[in-house]
Amino acid sequence: MSKPPVAEMKASMPPLNEAGQTTASRGFWAESWQRFRRRKLAMSALFFVAFLALTAVLSPAIVGTKPIMVRYKGNIYFPAMSYFNPRWENEIFFRDGFRMHYSENLKAKDPRSWAIWPLIYQDPYRRVREGEWPGHPGNESYMPPNRHNLFGTTHPGVDVFAQMVHGTRIALLVGIVATGIAAVIGIIVGALAGFFRGAVDMVLSRIIEMVMCIPVLVLILALLAVLDTPTIWHLMVVLGATGWTGIARLTRGEFLRLGQMEYVSAARALGFGRLRVMFRHILPNSLAPVLVPISFGIAAAILIESGLSFLGFGAPPPNPSWGTLLNAGRSNLQMWWLILFPGIAIFLTVLCYNLIGEGIQEATDPKLQQGRK
Amino acid sequence: MTSYLIRRLFFGLVTLILITFVIFALVRNMPGTPLTVDLAELDPSRQISQEDLERLENIYGLDKHWSLAYVQWLGNLVTLDMGRSFREKRPVTEVIGERIGPTLVLSVTSLFLAYLLAIPMGLFTTVRSGRMEERALSTFLYMLYSIPSFVAALLLLNLFYVRLEGTVFQLPLGGMMSMNYTELSFTGRIWDRFMHMILPVFCATYGSLAYYSRFVKSNMEEVIRQDYIRTARAKGVGSVRLIWHHAFRNTMIPFVTLMGLTLPGLLSGFVILESVFTWPGMGLLFLDSITNRDYPTIMGLTLMFSVLTLLGQLLADILYAFVDPRVTYS
Amino acid sequence: MHIGSPLNNETSNIYFLSIFFLFCVLILAGCSPDTPVAPQEEPAPESGDFILGDLIEPFDPPSLKKLESTVEWIEQPVLDSIELLRRRQEEEPILATVDEALRLHNNSPEANRKILSALGRLPDKDADVDYDASITRYIAADVKSTNPLMADSTAEFDVVELTGFGLFGFDWNFNLFAAEESVVSWHTSRDRMYDKVIMRDDLTWSDGVPITAHDVVFSFRVIMSSRVPVPAQRTGTDQLKWVEAYDDHTLVFFHKKPLAVNSWNIGFSIIPKHIYEKSIYEDPTLQNSDYHVRYEKNPMSGGPYVIGRRTVGRELVLKLREDWYTRNGKKIRSVPYFNEIHFLVIPEDSVALLALKAGDLSEKELTAGEWQNKTGDERFYQHNTKAYGLEWVYFYFGWNNETVFFSDRRVRQAMSYAFDHKELLKVILYNVYEPANGIFHPTSRWAPKNPPPPYKQDQDKAEKLLDDAGWVDSDGDGIRDKMIDGQLRRFEFSILTSNRTDRVAICNLLRQNLAEIGIICHVRPLDFTVLQEKTLQGHFHAYFGGWGTGAYPDTNENLWKTGEGRNYVRYSNPEVDRLFVEARQEMDDRRREEIFGRIQMTLYEDQPYTWLYFRNSFYGFSKRLRGYNFSPRGPYNYSPGFSSIWMPRQ
Repeated sequence: MSKPPVAEMKASMPPLNEAGQTTASRGFWAESWQRFRRRKLAMSALFFVAFLALTAVLSPAIVGTKPIMVRYKGNIYFPAMSYFNPRWENEIFFRDGFRMHYSENLKAKDPRSWAIWPLIYQDPYRRVREGEWPGHPGNESYMPPNRHNLFGTTHPGVDVFAQMVHGTRIALLVGIVATGIAAVIGIIVGALAGFFRGAVDMVLSRIIEMVMCIPVLVLILALLAVLDTPTIWHLMVVLGATGWTGIARLTRGEFLRLGQMEYVSAARALGFGRLRVMFRHILPNSLAPVLVPISFGIAAAILIESGLSFLGFGAPPPNPSWGTLLNAGRSNLQMWWLILFPGIAIFLTVLCYNLIGEGIQEATDPKLQQGRK
Repeated sequence: MTSYLIRRLFFGLVTLILITFVIFALVRNMPGTPLTVDLAELDPSRQISQEDLERLENIYGLDKHWSLAYVQWLGNLVTLDMGRSFREKRPVTEVIGERIGPTLVLSVTSLFLAYLLAIPMGLFTTVRSGRMEERALSTFLYMLYSIPSFVAALLLLNLFYVRLEGTVFQLPLGGMMSMNYTELSFTGRIWDRFMHMILPVFCATYGSLAYYSRFVKSNMEEVIRQDYIRTARAKGVGSVRLIWHHAFRNTMIPFVTLMGLTLPGLLSGFVILESVFTWPGMGLLFLDSITNRDYPTIMGLTLMFSVLTLLGQLLADILYAFVDPRVTYS
Repeated sequence: MHIGSPLNNETSNIYFLSIFFLFCVLILAGCSPDTPVAPQEEPAPESGDFILGDLIEPFDPPSLKKLESTVEWIEQPVLDSIELLRRRQEEEPILATVDEALRLHNNSPEANRKILSALGRLPDKDADVDYDASITRYIAADVKSTNPLMADSTAEFDVVELTGFGLFGFDWNFNLFAAEESVVSWHTSRDRMYDKVIMRDDLTWSDGVPITAHDVVFSFRVIMSSRVPVPAQRTGTDQLKWVEAYDDHTLVFFHKKPLAVNSWNIGFSIIPKHIYEKSIYEDPTLQNSDYHVRYEKNPMSGGPYVIGRRTVGRELVLKLREDWYTRNGKKIRSVPYFNEIHFLVIPEDSVALLALKAGDLSEKELTAGEWQNKTGDERFYQHNTKAYGLEWVYFYFGWNNETVFFSDRRVRQAMSYAFDHKELLKVILYNVYEPANGIFHPTSRWAPKNPPPPYKQDQDKAEKLLDDAGWVDSDGDGIRDKMIDGQLRRFEFSILTSNRTDRVAICNLLRQNLAEIGIICHVRPLDFTVLQEKTLQGHFHAYFGGWGTGAYPDTNENLWKTGEGRNYVRYSNPEVDRLFVEARQEMDDRRREEIFGRIQMTLYEDQPYTWLYFRNSFYGFSKRLRGYNFSPRGPYNYSPGFSSIWMPRQ
């Protein structure tokens, strides 16, 4: 992409700690957490991410056109759950011919029914029409922010606020899943290369170089074209499968360094198996520096996903994505609400992950602490 | 050193062959061929028949299995022939050559600006570490760093193109020059180019500016904790001299490494920015050639990027040894 | 023997002489003139294995004398399209003066009629026209080739139309005629097996070499050579048996079968023989060799304009050829209205709109969104006005008839009933388009006399049709399903569309409507190439697409006949197959109209597509332009089309 992915740039910096923590890991983590908590910015970033996660989980309850909970013909249902997965739509409503319009049909088909509705009656997938909800005039295309459409509407009258709230799910998932995959691959490859050295290292380093050179755009376009029904999960896998090089290089460096420490030689001398030395003795001690590029990696993955959606290659519809909204804003520059709100959302999320990454870096690196004191 | 170089170059070559092989396989296995695009634009009464399609595929060598085509591509490459672009019916080298200029204008200007501003900013934040102004600047830079370039581009366009429409502050929507460029005087042309460059260069610069200045700062912080700095300070070396002469010069190593790694970025272009500002550079060419399945152009670009990336890494390693006598390759 | 046959160089002269001798003897002897006509020339130094015209089946054309004695000729029209338009406009009432029209904002059909009536008119007299004017046209992508045989995109056809040499044209009603500027007379045989054209003798290429019947024959042979990569020209042309030049100006086109639409196949593009006859053997691609690259950059022109200046990716300038309309100081053809035509390449649509507003472009096609939302302001009307015309381009959902879902007609009808057509037209499409009910627009003479009404949303009916077809929710998960070959198949499919926001929005509406009646529909936006490939291969359940109209109704044949090229939805109905064959052989226009009406009715019943809407062509024009008119193929792709546009003296 345009900027070199954050994770890789970070990883290319020379490793910042030399001393290494040979003390017990547990105390180290607790101490790091103590240090992290003292950093106001990093903590507020963590809170913001938690807030986003909460928004993602509660999105159908915040804004939607399906009741959160409904009592209908003597039973309790949760139709809003179908925003998570369309297959969770209760079939009784299909059988009774609701056609997904609960507000008009509930009372008509069962006068004794009651329902708990989302905070805001809007839908991320479709236009809310006139007469659907008491006092709601119905959405029109390209409305600037107003009482009914807090963040305005897009072309066929779909509410921007609803799309953004439901889009939180994708943004968070993409970041975490893609980077999770990248971390697993990166740590394994880096560990193998750093531990075994020699020929293994040589081969794996070439693979790392190769993956670095492969343009993500080609991979994603090729994949979207080849798959029959590509989903957002495929996108995450591709992002993960290409974004691990920074983590791998860092892990490799850590393993190379720790492999020469005395305690590792001691463990070897005691006759522990290679796997045990690798995973029990070296890995825990190399995790702290690796956490940093992971946090930055989440930010990078979110950036790449929104960038792809912005170019029109991202999350397949109807998934609402922040980048897709920006894409609509691109051809309608005068409609600032299509640019500003999703722009701020992406910015804040990326910023928070960067701040968290930075917080971790400073909290786990004892040298920086020394310097500060 | 020489043997190290030879080994690296050899591995680089192997890596190159592997990369181009993977990309070739990928793009050739994407559904559709360069001819499919042509077909889509045809007049309905001129719909091409299956036999004719096969004849065309035969003429352009698209009926061959991709692995054979890859070998052929490699063979032609040895004779420095990158093939002809399907889309533009011209040699790939010519097509790519045309785009180098615009991309360099954008990347070199932005790199230059970024370094020019990043070093003083980085040094400033080191000196004033922990004070109000440092915190404000650092936070601001951090926030800049987190604004995606396409968001900034759209917001700036909304401001400078839509809101300031009709005023002297209005900036162009995109492209490298105005429609009436050929009619302009010499100074008019320079001004016109300048106006078109402002927004793309700004968007390409601010992110790396933030990154570089943080880079300078974090390396400086590393260095000023070293004993020799403490010694120098104890001996009463002035703080400006201390920072510039003693400390900054010792952060050159990672800086040089970074320069090596930015080398491919100079030519790889900015896919999203070039697409927002319709800037006729490499990034846009890359995007267009993928959607048009212009295999020779995709391969030409991939080859170029890969060579540059690998060279950049090699260069960084060599420079590293050059500036830091502790590092040797033998 | 035949000129398309593989003669090789060493023997051809001897062969030629002996044939010629034999020919003379036979003529003298008064034998049957069925004898092969000797090729007049066979100069090409053949190298390599390229064979000119190897796709032409061997055929011995009869002598002209023999032909004349056996064939009954019907005279066909030779017309000046500008005159044709002038005659039409003389009968039309003028609804507004030019000044009134220029002040109007085009926001109602009434305003549109006034603008077209006042500004669409041809000049009353030559003195009104600014013959030194230049016009700046918009193209979204640069032309890939300036060779008319290689043209395959709109931009290329726009350029080639002005620089290429052509014999035929068709008007806004799709009546074919020979162009007066290049043809003296045109006759068709009563059985439609032959077309005879006498070309004018004052035609020249831009290097001064005369354009003759031999250029036409040469072009035919080039098009019919398997190693020449012609993308668009071979279809139709391959329905010709042979083209013969009996002298420099007399051409006869021989058809394979006696069909009503034969004459449409004789309008292929023509390239100069003297430029390519040798070089084609060295480089059959006509693009790669240095020699061909030179002519690609400075192509020979046979039309009114020649390429003057060109900056690749930015601008293409056409200059008027004086030797096209004068000879020895005498005017031999009417003077085209523009001295220079600029084509500006602007890849980004929004930038192009900006250029139009700023007056840097003289014309630009507008999207519905631009028409509705971005061209209503004073800034637009400062330099421009806008107009629209109905275009016979319809958009549709195509249902793959070979899938388990859509092989049943009732299911396809259910889809058409389930879809919210009103929401589509009123909201998504800004209320500016007409609904579509089938392959011909109701105003087309090929449409049935009592056109069926467009489908309207009726979800009860849709659900009933689905129930009848066996798609019910049997496992109680809220999704319809059906037992097929012992397996329970859920009604879950994907619809493909090109990756454009407006089209994705249309498919999303379908997805929403279908979800309401228990069908899962995934929307898959694809880039153009993948979409094309998947539809071509039949790897899809449904897709969103659009078709423009061909110049004659038989172009629909490859959409609906079993196994035809554009029949992506794999529709097959023996009745429709039969009707198309019948229509092709029917010579009487009235009866042909009836047959096509029946085809449309059958398709309406079968609903292999859900027809959605007809698109208008929307254009913004500079206020200085006059003479634009819309045909069912837009303002340019017919005769006179672009050539009727002019600029008044100021």
